[in-house]
Amino acid sequence: MPDLVPALPEIFLAVMSMALLMAGVFQKEENAGRSVSYLAIATLVVTIAIVGVVADGRASTFGGAFVTDGFAVYVKVLILIATAAAVLMSREYLERHGIFRFEFPVLMVLAALGMLMMVSANDLISLYLGIELQSLSLYVIASFQRDTTRSAEAGLKYFVLGALSSGLLLYGISLVYGFSGSTNFDALAQLFQAGQSPLGVTVGIVFIIAGLAFKVSAVPFHMWTPDVYEGAPTPVTAFFAVAPKIAAMALFVRVMVGAFGDLGDQWQQVIIFISIASMVLGAFAAINQTNIKRLMAYSSIGHMGYALIGLAVAGGAGNAEARADGVSGILIYLAIYMFMNIGAFACILQMRRNGRMVEGIGDLAGLSKSNPAMAVVLATFMFSMAGIPPLAGFFGKLYIFLAAIEAELFALAIIGVLASVVGAFYYLRIVKVMYFDAPEEGFDGPVSMEMKAVLVVTGVVTLFFFVWPLPILAGAGLATAALLPG
Amino acid sequence: MYLAAVFLPLLGGIVAGLLSFVPDGGDKDRKHRIDRAGQLVTVAGMLLAAVAALITFIGVAGGGNTDNVEIFTWIASGSLELSWELRADTLAAVMVLMVTVVSSMIHIYSIGYMSHDGSIPRFQSYLSLFSFFMLMLVTSNNLVQLFFGWEGVGLMSYLLIGFWYDRPSANAAAIKAFVVNRVGDFGFALGIFATFMLFDTINFDTIFGLAEQKKDATLNVFSGEFHALTVICLLLFVGAMGKSAQIGLHTWLPDAMEGPTPVSALIHAATMVTAGVFMVARLSPLFEYSDVALTVVTVVGGTTAIFAATIGCVQNDIKRVIAYSTCSQLGYMFFALGVSAYSAGIFHLITHAFFKALLFLGSGSVIHAMSDEQDMRKMGGLYKLIPVTYVMMWVGSLALAGIWPFAGFFSKDIVLEAAWGAHTVVGQYAFWVGILAAFLTAFYSWRLLLMTFHGEPRADEVTMAHVHESPKVMLIPLAVLAIGAVFAGWLGFDWFVGEKTVEFWGNSIFVLESHRALENAHHSPLWVKFLPLVVGILGIALAYLMYMFAPGLPHALASGFQRTHRFLLNKWYFDELYDRIFVKPCFKLGRGFWKAGDGQLIDGVGPDGVAATVLSLARRAGALQSGFLYHYAFAMLLGVAALVSWFLVTGG
Amino acid sequence: MIIQSLAFYLFSIVAVASAVMVISARNPVHSVLFLILAFFNSAGLFVLLGAEFLAMILVVVYVGAVAVLFMFVVMMLDINFTALREGFLQYLPLGGLIGLVLLLELAVILGGWIIAPGAAERAAAPTPAIDSVNNTEALGQLIYTNYIYFFQAAGMVLLVAMIGAIVLTHRSRPGVRKQKISEQVAREDSIEMRDMPSGGGI
Repeated sequence: MPDLVPALPEIFLAVMSMALLMAGVFQKEENAGRSVSYLAIATLVVTIAIVGVVADGRASTFGGAFVTDGFAVYVKVLILIATAAAVLMSREYLERHGIFRFEFPVLMVLAALGMLMMVSANDLISLYLGIELQSLSLYVIASFQRDTTRSAEAGLKYFVLGALSSGLLLYGISLVYGFSGSTNFDALAQLFQAGQSPLGVTVGIVFIIAGLAFKVSAVPFHMWTPDVYEGAPTPVTAFFAVAPKIAAMALFVRVMVGAFGDLGDQWQQVIIFISIASMVLGAFAAINQTNIKRLMAYSSIGHMGYALIGLAVAGGAGNAEARADGVSGILIYLAIYMFMNIGAFACILQMRRNGRMVEGIGDLAGLSKSNPAMAVVLATFMFSMAGIPPLAGFFGKLYIFLAAIEAELFALAIIGVLASVVGAFYYLRIVKVMYFDAPEEGFDGPVSMEMKAVLVVTGVVTLFFFVWPLPILAGAGLATAALLPG
Repeated sequence: MYLAAVFLPLLGGIVAGLLSFVPDGGDKDRKHRIDRAGQLVTVAGMLLAAVAALITFIGVAGGGNTDNVEIFTWIASGSLELSWELRADTLAAVMVLMVTVVSSMIHIYSIGYMSHDGSIPRFQSYLSLFSFFMLMLVTSNNLVQLFFGWEGVGLMSYLLIGFWYDRPSANAAAIKAFVVNRVGDFGFALGIFATFMLFDTINFDTIFGLAEQKKDATLNVFSGEFHALTVICLLLFVGAMGKSAQIGLHTWLPDAMEGPTPVSALIHAATMVTAGVFMVARLSPLFEYSDVALTVVTVVGGTTAIFAATIGCVQNDIKRVIAYSTCSQLGYMFFALGVSAYSAGIFHLITHAFFKALLFLGSGSVIHAMSDEQDMRKMGGLYKLIPVTYVMMWVGSLALAGIWPFAGFFSKDIVLEAAWGAHTVVGQYAFWVGILAAFLTAFYSWRLLLMTFHGEPRADEVTMAHVHESPKVMLIPLAVLAIGAVFAGWLGFDWFVGEKTVEFWGNSIFVLESHRALENAHHSPLWVKFLPLVVGILGIALAYLMYMFAPGLPHALASGFQRTHRFLLNKWYFDELYDRIFVKPCFKLGRGFWKAGDGQLIDGVGPDGVAATVLSLARRAGALQSGFLYHYAFAMLLGVAALVSWFLVTGG
Repeated sequence: MIIQSLAFYLFSIVAVASAVMVISARNPVHSVLFLILAFFNSAGLFVLLGAEFLAMILVVVYVGAVAVLFMFVVMMLDINFTALREGFLQYLPLGGLIGLVLLLELAVILGGWIIAPGAAERAAAPTPAIDSVNNTEALGQLIYTNYIYFFQAAGMVLLVAMIGAIVLTHRSRPGVRKQKISEQVAREDSIEMRDMPSGGGI
């Protein structure tokens, strides 16, 4: 009998997802969606509590396939918060579009389960299963608005390309397994302690990187992102932009640092390449976008590029302090990224005119006059994403760039700064449109209570991170210490 | 209690600030209710804070309850560790008490004074926030929190001076105050950096503990070795000069009179301008080890005292006279600090807070009565019409001139005696200059009184017909402050500078054994003790002579000494000088950079060129996104193939 | 020994060849039939490895159920595969090139054949000795004990697949009359009692 306690959050979530399914089936159709969605939020919140209660140093179970440690706890909390926020934000949209079926929150919960499994994966197989569980749920909710072509197309594209990426990933896993004889991270780490590996393993790692890069939508595996973000229903896009990115990035870190940490000088170059490519493409391609969801897609590609700088730093052999700073830089970045993006999407979800959603950047024109409060909030998020001090986004970038400089990856830091300057252009353009363009008709009111709550919380965190940054910094520090002992 | 004293004003300020956003929908009653709510919440906040401050003060100064209140950790980065923390010692408690009491009087007064204004909640909110920042400043336990409060009061003073933002002159004055303060703040910030460099911390307790060890340390500035503590103290003193309007950086203070009168009272009496004095006193353990810095402080203080007093004698705007008087009194406080008589400086600060607030609010009452007329040449003969204000102004002026038994007598005397008691050259300089300034102070105070209240009414009949005594809500604060102006001196004397001074201050002020100015002051010769009083009475007599008995004399003097008169009237030409040296060349340089440098060179090659490149790149990047699944899949496979090939070619 | 080798090559060649035919046959029904052939040969390979249980499962589940289901789907949907393949051919040159490059590179890697020391032993470690337990028991032990986590996780993935299939395709059509036996039996308005005049008829 394996020790089930470390996996308690996942077990709870799995059981609850089935219970929610039952709860949905045996209810009247018209209010099943709403009640299941509130139950799902409650479930996610309880799971956060369980994650916190179970957290107690490092514990692994299921024959070493599953591990929970400070790193997992930190990321899981972020994922669960993001998922709960996404469920909360989706209610209004789905109700308005008449597609509020109870399967939606259930699938979100299942996706969250997949993400938790990813974060706790300590074996290439559990990694793959976690990814598949997550991805499959995401494919379905991407095409949840199945009667519109765009949504169906988004789901299909995501599915086909996701399958391809899974293929690459599996191929890489099989290469690694074939050439090393193990899929367990601890065993792999021990095997490659000396920093030497067969060529087959190295190529396998490249394939694994390709598969994971797809999940964090890093260039050149990013092509699905803009189309899927645009096509999927907006609350789904909000979810896509946050939780799966956090989970995939954490998994990326766990695999590369946990299993292949001592092979850093082999994969560091690849990460540097995709990081630079993502930052540059994210900055440039977003400029011409007119659809705000596409813009957010490129924005998230760019953000993932910045986070990958941290991973590149963590791959640098030798300088242990810099490696730790790189990892904690990523973790801080992800937390800040989560708050900024949830907030920004909460604003985008308010872009409703005469009962219909609008997505053009031009539709924001003159928002400062028609809805000044929302303009201020959205501007805050945009400034933060552009990395303007003293907002939270600035500190996220700061820690990452500092780590890069500490690791003497100057080129990466310089390109990062330049890309964020270019990127600032399109964030500020939104602010400009809101404040200086001739006003359009205002958006439909009123803002619902739950949206207000989301906006206030994310806004306060973004605005006042600098006043009391310790909770996030300390959490990231503990998480890093768990991943990189000593 | 301590927390309440500091944070209640913040709470009141925030609530009132939010109230100012509540739409009134054009409804007069509704607007009135909103205004009332704003006044109520801020006044209540301040009054409660004052009560809390009193309890804290008794606890700290009487019971020696000096436990700092830590709120939470603010920054922990490398060896830089800071907390939001309230320092509990006598110096802080005295300042908190003074700020809250004076500020709450001004809050109450504002209810009457601003009753016709359109944005009352905003005004009250600014006042409360201003007080909060000042409290934050005086209670800080490290230099950065001090800087936070410092900048906070700078910001709020900008907002308050420019409160009537539809007046161009108010905007200009607000900007001037802000910019001039920036100059000082620059020095202050450099001082903080230097402190951190030397001590590797900026927490007061640690710095003060280490100061003696570091007294001979040197600091490398521009490749020269300098005495470290002198460098630090001088840099910090630059900041103090800016905030406390010492000569050179004083130009913003008279212009700041553009703000509503309660603001003038708040800025010039209790809070912002005293920040510099407080800071030097707070950092006494550092200044004590730098004789150079102390000398500079003394000279600057003494010079400011006489310089401002001379200008005060010829100004015609009632508020400007008092503003220059403030400047001059701050000079007194600084030279007291400079001769190591910190407690005397703070004592004068406290008494000055009462009588200067009284004078400002009194003059506000006059202005209110005269339908916003500020020029004294157009006043006169008011004493029968507004008798209460008249009495109040008398009390304030007596205190300011240092006539026994009013507050100013005790504090000014001890300051001057301490300057004498320093037994140094600069001490002597400060003493004699201070005596002269005391004479001038008495003179211009009575000049103000006589021109305003006596003689023939010089205003037009419409104004005179309107003259009325201010409402009670304005007079009660005056009365409270007047009590302070009368009794604060002899009540506080023993504690602040007299026999009980050591136990009163505890370890909040540090004086080296060898600096015995304050002790010598108590044993100074009789003529030193009486000279200030004598010159004060002489000054009053001269004023009576010139403005009561021989009204032609001032005019004759002005035309007889035309150059001197103009020199003084134009404030020693400081503004013109700065305009010529700094402002105009800056404008010219800026224009040059803007037109030629930025417009043609940088924009041409830089932004415009870069922008064009970026846009074309952006178009290309966008074109990659074709929408076809095939292309996407290909891109992925190409990516993998490229990465693998790269590996194999470079050898992994 | 030689027979075993011969059998191995026979099964492998046929399996690979039929796999190629699956993707190149013009008629989709033929594709599915070739797929079934490939399954059979794979089963043969399993038997050679001594994994007779897996071989049987492959035949029963994949041939017996999955492939037949494919067949039904292909026949019912009548997809025009040639039309789909047009786009495919258009990208063949580039795609072929990438494929070729990758293939060559993999050949280099496999040709080098440097394996981490002890890889084979590690890979074999979880498997119980073949003479101590039988096939089914060994599989059972691995799947339901050692790898229970993977098994359950895979189960969750399948659950999601099921939910997804229902969510994306199921529609409740208002016009459709469903059979609700209890209601139908309990209906009362369907029976009408009438007094008939005797001898009058309806």
